Amino acid sequence: MTEVYSFDPLIIKTPYEITYKHSYGKTTKFFTSLSDGKLMATRCDHCKQTFLPPRSDCPYCLRETKWVQISGKGRIHTFTTLYFSGEKFLKDLPFQLVYVELEGVDTLFLTRLKTKDMKKVKVGMKIKMKISRDPEWRSSDIWAEPDE
Amino acid sequence: MPRKVAVVAGGLSYFSKARRDKTQEELAAEAARMALFDNDINLSKDDIDGTIVSYFSDHFENQLLFGSIIQDYLGFNPKPSVRIEGGGATGGLAVRDAYAHVASGLLDVAMVIGFEKMSEVNTAKGNEFIALASDTDWDFPIGGFYSGYYALMAKRHMEEFGTTEEQMAMVAVKNRNNAQHNKFAQTNPKMNPYAMKDGGKITVDDVLKSPYVAFPLKRLDICLMSDGAAVMILASEEKAKKITDTPIWITGTGAGTDAMRAGDRPRTLSGVPMLPHEKKEWYKELEYPGVHSFRAGRESARQAYKMAGITNPLKQLDLIELHDAYTSSEIQTYEDLGLTKYGQGGKLIEEGVTALDGDLPVNPSGGLIGAMHAVGATGVMQGVEMFWQLQGVAGKFHGSDKTQIKNAERGLIHSHAGTGTYVTATIMER
Ligand SMILES: [Zn+2]
Repeated sequence: MTEVYSFDPLIIKTPYEITYKHSYGKTTKFFTSLSDGKLMATRCDHCKQTFLPPRSDCPYCLRETKWVQISGKGRIHTFTTLYFSGEKFLKDLPFQLVYVELEGVDTLFLTRLKTKDMKKVKVGMKIKMKISRDPEWRSSDIWAEPDE
Repeated sequence: MPRKVAVVAGGLSYFSKARRDKTQEELAAEAARMALFDNDINLSKDDIDGTIVSYFSDHFENQLLFGSIIQDYLGFNPKPSVRIEGGGATGGLAVRDAYAHVASGLLDVAMVIGFEKMSEVNTAKGNEFIALASDTDWDFPIGGFYSGYYALMAKRHMEEFGTTEEQMAMVAVKNRNNAQHNKFAQTNPKMNPYAMKDGGKITVDDVLKSPYVAFPLKRLDICLMSDGAAVMILASEEKAKKITDTPIWITGTGAGTDAMRAGDRPRTLSGVPMLPHEKKEWYKELEYPGVHSFRAGRESARQAYKMAGITNPLKQLDLIELHDAYTSSEIQTYEDLGLTKYGQGGKLIEEGVTALDGDLPVNPSGGLIGAMHAVGATGVMQGVEMFWQLQGVAGKFHGSDKTQIKNAERGLIHSHAGTGTYVTATIMER
């Protein structure tokens, strides 16, 4: 039965749900490598650029890239603490997001920072990437922690 | 050679958190009626040769092909129409597209119809829909959403250049308080019957004490989410001169782009696309664009200035309507537009340069923070505002003379999407 929110003006409630079958295509290897404890990025030898998130094709020259393993160590480039979010993540609040400069990677990588002391977080702080043992097959399967 | 193109009319709806009294197409009609009947023009609806329809998301109404509903509802069938979408820059891209349609000779008289109705889902869901305009494989699944992305960029700007939360708060105060003289503005309960009840003037202290949404951004640093519509009418030189005695010419337009994920932008030294008044050595040490600046904004300005013959924007522009999605992004954009050196944007607001009575007022309308952000309408609203300002009739439309910039001859409208993924800059002149 249609749920009515108001009669003047007439406002009805209409729910909508959908499930996508989403392919990661050639970047599948990033997610499958995580189960072996490996963090993989892609590299264009021609342009000498390493990408994370991985790109299968180099945006600079459009040659195909190759997979390279990275250490997952790095530093915080910038951070934020969220006190509000999209509907899906309201339950996680507050949490921190960081752009990290990772060893051997030319792009900045956006990820969650998980730390006991959010107040101590600073630009330039050392971090290391962690891999979930319980994969959801999303980018949230990896995150940064302080590297003390 | 492209033909000369003028803006000849503009119209706005009242903006509101929720215009439940009207459907989206009824809001578009409200703005279109004002464009046709409240401007001093010799033009009838039948003189419009085609439309450019500007809206961002199919999700807010769960209706695809809404452009067709608009074209039908406003009675323009069977004339040509196209829907333009480019995130937050949808409106700016639509104005640019209308310019191209008229300049090329495809249309003689074109109507740009911008609108969005964001209130039919709750605010958290609305934020989620907007977050779907970020990378949904990588940035969204970790809890990313736009205030978070802009907070990260703002924090880096602070770290790199020493920009402060107080300077950001000054932007919020300027724009919110300008909006108190604009009857269309969502934060203006004295003049807009559909305004938010807790609108009105604010102080720097109010902004600093408002709760953090995403450090360093607080609730009052962040733009509105609105229902509403905006309509512009553009015409070729020949037609424009018959329609009005005071056509406002579009003399330059530029568009730039950047990576969907801001982290993918290059971090090179001296990578700044230079403007005519700038010197290479200013930026020798600057990693650019990084996440502190909007390369797309710089690129759009560079093209628009070149086309309009502008060599010193601070001196040659009389006002700007700027896409202030966040107070921080207004400061960042001052630099991209070359109003000051990279890193000095915070000082520009502090010195009052962009105030209503400053050398180069920015957002006399109140912008996205004070007036509205009904995404597809936003860039078109800027065009309407600039048109009224340059015609000298802003006071009449706003219901207050305070916002009219005296003797304004040339202005820039700036429309911006994503984390700076699409940006347009358009120059309008009397
Ligand atoms: Zn390459």
